[in-house]
Amino acid sequence: MSTMFCQKCDQRAAIRMRQHRLMFCRDHYLEWFVEQTQRTIERYHMFTLADRLLLAVSGGKDSLALWDVLWRLGYSVDGMYINLGIDGEEHYSNESEQYCRTFAEERGLSLQVVNVKQSFGQTVPELARLRHRSRSKPCSACGMAKRHIMNQAARDGGYDVLLTAHNLDDEVAVLFANTLSWNVDGLNRQSPVLEARDGFVRKAKPFCRFYERETAAYTLLRGIEYIEEECPFATGSKQIIYKEILNKLEEEHPGIKLHYYVSFLKARQQQVFQPGAAEKVSELELRPCPSCGQPTTNQGLCAFCTLVSKAQATK
Amino acid sequence: MPITLILRKQQFQLEGTLTVKQALEQLGLSPESHLVVRDGEMLNENEPLRNGEVVKLVPVISGG
Repeated sequence: MSTMFCQKCDQRAAIRMRQHRLMFCRDHYLEWFVEQTQRTIERYHMFTLADRLLLAVSGGKDSLALWDVLWRLGYSVDGMYINLGIDGEEHYSNESEQYCRTFAEERGLSLQVVNVKQSFGQTVPELARLRHRSRSKPCSACGMAKRHIMNQAARDGGYDVLLTAHNLDDEVAVLFANTLSWNVDGLNRQSPVLEARDGFVRKAKPFCRFYERETAAYTLLRGIEYIEEECPFATGSKQIIYKEILNKLEEEHPGIKLHYYVSFLKARQQQVFQPGAAEKVSELELRPCPSCGQPTTNQGLCAFCTLVSKAQATK
Repeated sequence: MPITLILRKQQFQLEGTLTVKQALEQLGLSPESHLVVRDGEMLNENEPLRNGEVVKLVPVISGG
């Protein structure tokens, strides 16, 4: 039961990161975390102080931590919260929105809120039921709606880069899923930065090299209030199962998640994954949706507008 | 009085003096997936927990 001390001072260590062989007290951890975020931004040429940034916030630990760090680093970053209309035991979406509002107000930051029910007539779980009558979980419709609304808001607002707070655990869970199914198109699309093209705004993930444990530690040590409740639809999701499996590996082999991700990015850079048929088609046939103007491979309305028009027709 | 560990709406109790890591192991919880907080202070894995103390377990995994 030996005491662990910070490697930069003689204070008690608040956290040990075995993958980096580092131990820090609260203050030095917060300092290290902010510095590492800046290093990742520079490493992948994500954006500069001159860019206007829009960050998708959920009220959870990762997105509020990222907003806090970017604000401290002096970036021009606005937040956007999408109220999906997910209820759960404690009105999940409304509570999450409140955490975002409080965070923004306390720091004098600008937050844009899009309420799906108010803007499109139905909540995301309701829209999902129209899309997949037999399925109980709205996760794929939710992802589609979020991607659509985020890109639209970034385009309309004239933002240079759209940011999400995906962390390394999110990235390796997706990588694991894509590897299990050899989804080559998915592997090709996975990157810390996705360049702008054909109506899609440039996207970046500044937390892509942080373990989820590290972003949670930052949020706790910084004293940021966030929604601890999990999305009621996330229980038993494949992504959580993959994360648990990868954490089991990490316990035995510290650094294996980071190595998995970094070596994947290296392989991707070396063009190990050749574009698959689906990707080639999508590159050739993107056209603007006649309703919203966003890029789509559909002949008519994009997938989101199709769903919304279906919802309006059933009213 | 045992050590009380609170994880969301669940409560666990353990007896004796244990490190954070040992306590998580006894509960079958991964130290990669949980942080431990006592009186608002985050604890590293070697920190001792003693009878009568109440700690909060913070799950760090999320996703859907």
